[in-house]
Amino acid sequence: MEKPRYARCNESDVTRREVLRVGSLSLLGISLGQYLQVSKALADNGLAGGPVKAQACILLWLEGGPSHMDTWDPKPNSAFKPISTNVDGIQISELFPRVARHMDKLAVIRSVRTEEDNHPQGTCYTLTGHRPGAALKFPSLGSIICKETGPRNELPQYVLVPQPCEHAFTSAFQDAFSANFIGGEYNPMVLPDPSQDDFRVADLTLPKSMSFEQIANRRTCLSVVDRFYREKENLAEFGLMDASSRQALAMLTSPGVKNAFDLSQETEKTKDAYGRDRVGQSVLLARRLVEGGCRFVTASGYRGAEWDTHGNNDKILRETLAPTLDRTLSVLLEDLKQRGLLETTLVVVMGEFGRTPDVNAAGGRDHYAKCWSLLLGGGGIRGGQVIGASDERAANVADRTVSIGDLFATIYKAFGIDYTKTYMSPVGRPVYIANSIGDEQGQPIQELV
Amino acid sequence: MNRAPGARWIAFLFGLLLTANGSMRDGGAVAAGELISELQALRLVPEHPTLWGAKASQRFVVLGTFADGLERDVTAHAVLTLSDPTLATIDSGARVTVRADGACDLIAQVGGCKASTRVQFEGSSQTLPFSFARDIGQILTKRGCNTSDCHGSVKGQKGFKLSLNASYPQEDYKWIIEGGVYKVLTTEQSEPPKPRINKEQPEESLILQKPAGVVPHGGGKRLDVGSMDYRTILAWVQNGAPYGEDDGKAPIAIEGLKAFPPDVVLDPQGKHQLLVTALLSNGRNEDVTDQATYTSNNVEVAKVNGDGMVEAVSTGETAIVIRGVGRVASARVGVIAQPIPNYPASPGSRNFVDEHVFAKLRKFNIVPSGLSGDAEFLRRVCLDLTGTLPSPNRARAFLADPDPDKRDKLIEILLASPEYVDFWAYRFGDLFRVHFTARQDLRGTHQYKDWVRNRIALNKPYDQTARELIAVQGWGGTTQHYYRVTSLMTPQEIMAEQMRVFQGLRLECAQCHNHPFEAWSQDQFWGLAAFFGRMTPVNSYLILDLPSAVAGKTVNHPRTKAEVQPAFLDGTTVPESKLDDLRMTLARWMTSAENPYFARATVNRIWGYFFGRGIVEPVDDMRSTNPPTHPKLLDALARHFVERGFDIKDLIRTIVQSRAYQLSGEFNETNRKDLINCSRSLPRMLEAVVLMDAISVVTGVEEVFELDNFAGGGSTPPGTRAIDLIPDISPSNFMDVFGRPNRQALPEPVNDVTVGQALHMLAGSTYTEKISMEGGRVDRLVKSGANNREILEELFLAALCRLPTEYERTELDKILDKDPSRKENVEAVAWALISSREFAYNH
Repeated sequence: MEKPRYARCNESDVTRREVLRVGSLSLLGISLGQYLQVSKALADNGLAGGPVKAQACILLWLEGGPSHMDTWDPKPNSAFKPISTNVDGIQISELFPRVARHMDKLAVIRSVRTEEDNHPQGTCYTLTGHRPGAALKFPSLGSIICKETGPRNELPQYVLVPQPCEHAFTSAFQDAFSANFIGGEYNPMVLPDPSQDDFRVADLTLPKSMSFEQIANRRTCLSVVDRFYREKENLAEFGLMDASSRQALAMLTSPGVKNAFDLSQETEKTKDAYGRDRVGQSVLLARRLVEGGCRFVTASGYRGAEWDTHGNNDKILRETLAPTLDRTLSVLLEDLKQRGLLETTLVVVMGEFGRTPDVNAAGGRDHYAKCWSLLLGGGGIRGGQVIGASDERAANVADRTVSIGDLFATIYKAFGIDYTKTYMSPVGRPVYIANSIGDEQGQPIQELV
Repeated sequence: MNRAPGARWIAFLFGLLLTANGSMRDGGAVAAGELISELQALRLVPEHPTLWGAKASQRFVVLGTFADGLERDVTAHAVLTLSDPTLATIDSGARVTVRADGACDLIAQVGGCKASTRVQFEGSSQTLPFSFARDIGQILTKRGCNTSDCHGSVKGQKGFKLSLNASYPQEDYKWIIEGGVYKVLTTEQSEPPKPRINKEQPEESLILQKPAGVVPHGGGKRLDVGSMDYRTILAWVQNGAPYGEDDGKAPIAIEGLKAFPPDVVLDPQGKHQLLVTALLSNGRNEDVTDQATYTSNNVEVAKVNGDGMVEAVSTGETAIVIRGVGRVASARVGVIAQPIPNYPASPGSRNFVDEHVFAKLRKFNIVPSGLSGDAEFLRRVCLDLTGTLPSPNRARAFLADPDPDKRDKLIEILLASPEYVDFWAYRFGDLFRVHFTARQDLRGTHQYKDWVRNRIALNKPYDQTARELIAVQGWGGTTQHYYRVTSLMTPQEIMAEQMRVFQGLRLECAQCHNHPFEAWSQDQFWGLAAFFGRMTPVNSYLILDLPSAVAGKTVNHPRTKAEVQPAFLDGTTVPESKLDDLRMTLARWMTSAENPYFARATVNRIWGYFFGRGIVEPVDDMRSTNPPTHPKLLDALARHFVERGFDIKDLIRTIVQSRAYQLSGEFNETNRKDLINCSRSLPRMLEAVVLMDAISVVTGVEEVFELDNFAGGGSTPPGTRAIDLIPDISPSNFMDVFGRPNRQALPEPVNDVTVGQALHMLAGSTYTEKISMEGGRVDRLVKSGANNREILEELFLAALCRLPTEYERTELDKILDKDPSRKENVEAVAWALISSREFAYNH
């Protein structure tokens, strides 16, 4: 296991670029020594200043709720056997041989406990830390991360690819992914299915017939027409419109933005490796987007709640779900590593809950929130670990309950966000951004971050 | 004293005397010796009070009317005397404290002006019997023990819970005497309770030691050992900590709080003392100014200290929330910029709406803008009544029409138009949530939609509509409201929604605990929820209230787990005979003319559509800590609405006929920053569907909307407009980007301008493709060979209901005449028009 490099120990760790930047500090009367001291102090506390910190996150959304004893927490009541991984002492289901070779990059949490076991409520709970309700629509994890860390560049920072919940992406689900009361600018950009031939991002492509001169012409007209009104009114909103307009134009004309969404620039080999289906291409696009500067991408290729195996659980897992996940996840981890992105890109693999330890009459497993598992890796997370444990049937948490608030706190800490923060809801109620069971504040998992 | 020429000098001398006596407050609103000379009249408040009891006291305020029209608090400059000083004393806070029974005059004098009032003293040797609720409760409130961020918070603090604002004294008594820890979802205790009093060693009671700082207290020091409040509590514990109802009589309770003045107007240096009167259940009044707590809703506008002295900070308007024992009151405060010496005479009121609006503007020294121009009015009223822009020809005709009554006539035409029905069916569709269900019942959805539309078209009385919805039984279209959609609708969720829609009350917070901002208790919430407890499950086709023998399920209190009986908000439970007709019983209560919420909630919401904000905002959040900007107007509108038989169209007509609605959007110096008093028209962004239809109309290209697969796929029939759509049946990227409510929950206002919208404007198909489409307006204009003037006029009239200005004509001519393509140039102008702020906003 690699030694984490996030604490500055001595001056020789300082890179040349740092020194150049720091050099200007002497004008302010701060010496290099003092700067390094402060820097180390900040880094040790995990708040702003640590050099190795998550910059982006890919959420591999296993919509429907994956069966945990058949995946990351193998137990006797699973039809599948456990296999060893490349980390001594950690075993996962035999359905994931390729992922097993990347265990050193991943942490498994086997004692997740949430409180909702219906899809809309569970999705909302797992992505925001709260049940859906008229009194409180809490912002989604991705929205909060984007708000607290700020944009990396002009790319849309929060993306869903493709639109989740294929059967009805109605408000009950939408809200789980949305910014809600922190403002529409933190809503995700929803992309269509990238595995389709006609994949194209609407609104990001100017009509082919438009030249830049035509755009300029139009904008001149606009300034003429707007002048009359501008003189009459001067709302704060207009300032926002100006800013949004400028940002939009920047997005449209920046080659970086277009490239980030352009899958044709990936090699055929890469596309094959990830998998030519919706799952594979979504994750590939997600990798591309974080590489291009997105902050939080949810790859929801399993839309249609494919992991919701109420019948024929074993068959579907073995034939359809596990092969795609095993392939895509392992390729993603390898790809991120090779591109030097793994240290700065957090990877979260989870669904809205787990599945019942008992198999039902249709050979399936039903929803289960009392005890389930998820994977975390990259972004400074110390891999090759298991956190918590379930009992002999994975029915109850045996050791170390991890709530969604704890998960969020861990993720926020990886990003250098203050996980103790509260937001004031519209009715004036302060709510933790890492909200644990009983409205307590979630705690980051010390072993991981 | 007469107004001798030396009055100014004498006044100044008095000012010095007052300073010397130390009875002058510092920094009074009026600088001594200056404005005093402009004092015209004086009065004392309260008038003719009766002080009862051994400890009775009353604070007084001396109000002076000045030449500039403003009434100011001049207590600090007044000399106060009693005609019979043996009966009472006066202190430096203008507080009269009783000594003996009798009556005398209190006289105030400022400069050359004098005022007096008769004060009665009774029962000076008697005290009210002790009442924990009143006497201890008021200490807990005044000392801040039971605020929402301390022990009054939902779970209490550090294991000690009090009710917010001493609203539930019996519970408070229990928590103090017995101890215990409040848990949200259960009444079980996980550890032995710790009483807050110690009867054997009263001084070691936690309820004394903690606030006195004798033991560590997270809330800091709240009481001084030996202070009046400390001694009161100590004496109470020493006496065995009674509740105060020993002789079986109900304790004399405080039934209400009144603040004076209810509307404070301050100049920029202004200060005003608030007076708070408690109305007791025995019919008496008591001055509780000293026992109340005061908070300003916006300290940037005005602040208030612990004694109730309000001080201006900067121009604006806010409210002071006053909490006394178990009650809340509020006073609105407006800080005006400068009193205006020559306030223009009112141009005349069209109806009572104007009277109230302009009276308040006068009081606050805000000058309303003039009447809107015809073009401004035309666009505004068409959009507000029908959500549809008029064609260029009709616009031109209206602008040119010399008839002085043309606005009224236009209003009638619009109210009678089919587009009025379309538009308001859309708005009520949002409110009543006409949407597709997870059970894919298209026919039912359309039945529901038709029912809503029908109510509007026939202008059915709104109370009838409401009752039909709340109490619906059977198979019909209206039952489709009770969907089992992806967010499962439990009885409490349904009730909370109906309360918001029809009563303007947000009770949801009280689902899990007593409401933090209002006196709604969790019990009241569940009492209401119980009305929906016997409905057939919402995913069945037949909706009705099952007879109790059959129902087999109950609504249970989440903490005590006991079954809850249906009860109205005022506490009355439902008689046995009505128990099989629960929802109709509730519906009748909710919509009756005597119900205090229904009419107000409805008129407030409708008002909000026309002015961008309700008289109470948010429109469904009426509570005492969120007072209306125009309380009398709200009451008048509600009364009018009830008298006219809950007629929605008549209400709308009354609003749009008013001058207040028809004001121009141009601001003047006095109303530039006013966003809440209707002193001018404020721009409001067009709703997504209205914007969509407007773009279609201007570009001359109809939009073709998708039909979801559930509805058969394909497209909507030709002629379908955006306001006809049911959101989940016809999804639309444009409308999602521009914030169309998806009706899965009640509509929330969408105010953010997002990058997504800007992107769509620049590159989205709606904006770019429709402009250039063949057969569209641009295409037609170019092909017809129209000249620049004709083109510009048609486009401007279509989009903005006005003709282009000289500047616009000149500049745009240059663009139109550019090489190479005239079509592209016209497209550029059309694009600019539909992307402009003026287009996207209703103003």
